[in-house]
Amino acid sequence: MEDFKPIITDCINGSPKAQSMLYHQFAPKMFGVCLRYAKDTTEAEDNMQDGFIKVFTNLKTFRHDGSLEGWIRRIMINVSLEKIRKQHLLFPVEDVSVYDSVNFSDDVIAKIAADDLMKLIQQLPPRYRMVFNLYVIEGLSHQEIAKEMSITQGTTKSNLARARDILKKKVHENFGELIGQNNNTA
Amino acid sequence: MKNDKNLDELFRDKLLNYEQEPPAYILENVLASVASARRKRKIVFWRIAGVAAALFLAFVAGWQINTRNGQDVNSGIIVGQQTAPEISAEVKPEITPAEKENTFRNIKSKIVEKPGTVNLQLAELAKENQINQISNKSTKPIAGNSKSEQVNFVDESLIVAKSEESRALQPMKSLFRLINQGTKNVANSLQEQKTKALKDDWAVKTIDQQIMEQNQMVLARNETPKKARWLVGAQVSPEYSVTRSSHSQVYASNMLNASANSVDLGGGISVEFRKGKRWSLQSGVYYSGLGQSSGNSNVSSGKDFMFAGADRGSEYFNTNVSIDANTSKMMMNSTAGVIEFSGIPPGIVLGTNPEEKTMASTAVVVSDARFIQNFDYIEIPLYLRYTFLDSRFDVEMLGGFSSNLLVGNETYMESSSGKSLVGSTRDMEPINYSGTLGIGLKYGLSKRISLNVEPRVKYYLNSLNSNSSVTYKPYSIGVFTGLSYEF
Repeated sequence: MEDFKPIITDCINGSPKAQSMLYHQFAPKMFGVCLRYAKDTTEAEDNMQDGFIKVFTNLKTFRHDGSLEGWIRRIMINVSLEKIRKQHLLFPVEDVSVYDSVNFSDDVIAKIAADDLMKLIQQLPPRYRMVFNLYVIEGLSHQEIAKEMSITQGTTKSNLARARDILKKKVHENFGELIGQNNNTA
Repeated sequence: MKNDKNLDELFRDKLLNYEQEPPAYILENVLASVASARRKRKIVFWRIAGVAAALFLAFVAGWQINTRNGQDVNSGIIVGQQTAPEISAEVKPEITPAEKENTFRNIKSKIVEKPGTVNLQLAELAKENQINQISNKSTKPIAGNSKSEQVNFVDESLIVAKSEESRALQPMKSLFRLINQGTKNVANSLQEQKTKALKDDWAVKTIDQQIMEQNQMVLARNETPKKARWLVGAQVSPEYSVTRSSHSQVYASNMLNASANSVDLGGGISVEFRKGKRWSLQSGVYYSGLGQSSGNSNVSSGKDFMFAGADRGSEYFNTNVSIDANTSKMMMNSTAGVIEFSGIPPGIVLGTNPEEKTMASTAVVVSDARFIQNFDYIEIPLYLRYTFLDSRFDVEMLGGFSSNLLVGNETYMESSSGKSLVGSTRDMEPINYSGTLGIGLKYGLSKRISLNVEPRVKYYLNSLNSNSSVTYKPYSIGVFTGLSYEF
């Protein structure tokens, strides 16, 4: 693991050079995280900016016993979560059809671009997007998500199921052709 | 379930380590915000330190000026004390041992226990011109106790009395001058630091940052100023007053001992004007009570004790008193001033012997009672408040001055038989000025209503008693609690 102690010390002392270096080290990865939790690029940029301001103002509280990347990632997620809480966003109910037969082979997965999947995630209602990200990508349990979002475990499970259904539908709509071709060749 | 896992894997594989280069402006904004927050923290620290220093200076300066003022009064009174030995030197040689024996017998016969009889005895004594003899020759000078004594004191401490009024206002003027000067200095040093910090930061900023900051400044200038707000509130507080006094030697030799400080209830209505986020000006109308209780001087032997209560046992105390020649009213010296009794209080024993020349006083009260002096004031304050922490739980510092109008002046006697109103304290100033310093804790119960808790210290700038032998400047500590409404 890279030793960030000297650069962290310089950042705490207010060195813009050190801050730029630390930013460049993690910015692309953290922008990816922000994009996943945001509804569009603009919101992701806002969250990214707020997140890094928090990182630099709270850097003195970072204990060097864990991963710096994990700590920064946590801040980015918290900023996104906070924004959703503040906005009191409502969740539109969608008419979701269930596509039980959808199956993704390795070939199909290889053909679908990450950017396209990112767009699908961003189209999810905010709370579904949050639960899906926390459960599927970050690997948190329902109990942890429920605590984080101040909702019940039943709600997180239901939100996750709804998110999956929506995503299945959207994958089918966007990549149905690919899946169809794959199934036919199989 | 399998499909779910398949879908999850699809998204996890593609997005877990997804990276994308963010736009360049984000870094510039982040660096500008972090630098600005850092600068702001520095300015806030110096601002708080400056305000705290200014308020502390004002408090200390007020206290110092106040103390010096008290010392001046004492030095003026020393002149008056020089006359006392002359009187006793003149009187003492005239007394022979035979006269003393006769006098003691007379005294014993004149000790009266019933209040009504005492009045009669006093009237008889006055007829025989014996009381006039006391005040002219044998009584030690007690300020304000008789007409002739007043004349003596006026002659000898004329300069002190003349400058009394101007001195009372002097601390107020000096304090205002100090606060003005202190605030200007703090403001200047903050401005210098701000300019220096700006210069330092300017050097390391990129052109883009400078443009962005200039834009922000223009935007800030164009913002409409925040609307002024008013707060009205009501507060109550227990007020613990601590006696702080000094007296001339002559006065103190015949004075009641202040035995305890009292806890009174104060409170009132406040009005606060707030323009901006930090500073506000507060006034209002408050009631504040001030009180003290005095016990008797404990005498277990000596001529006075023999004279007054030898046959009563040592559980009794005695205190020397004087009788006004014109009004035949009894008076006693207390730390707050001379207590003037409206009549002879029930339940006490008064012994008088105008012919006695060797004792401290010719009239002695024997009682196990204590006297409670209460002063009620209506206070009109003018406080400046500064908010350190502005959130749901505000922390403020306040300091300022008050005009106090005397509206109540009562003296009670409390003994085993109960508590009764017996008189008042002489020469109390009708208007006084006080300084206040405190910390305000404000908790927002709703958007408009707040709960306040404010520990405050109040000290009087001038003596509450105009008697030149007494400097009585107590201070009080209170915790004001109440609600305020903002509109």
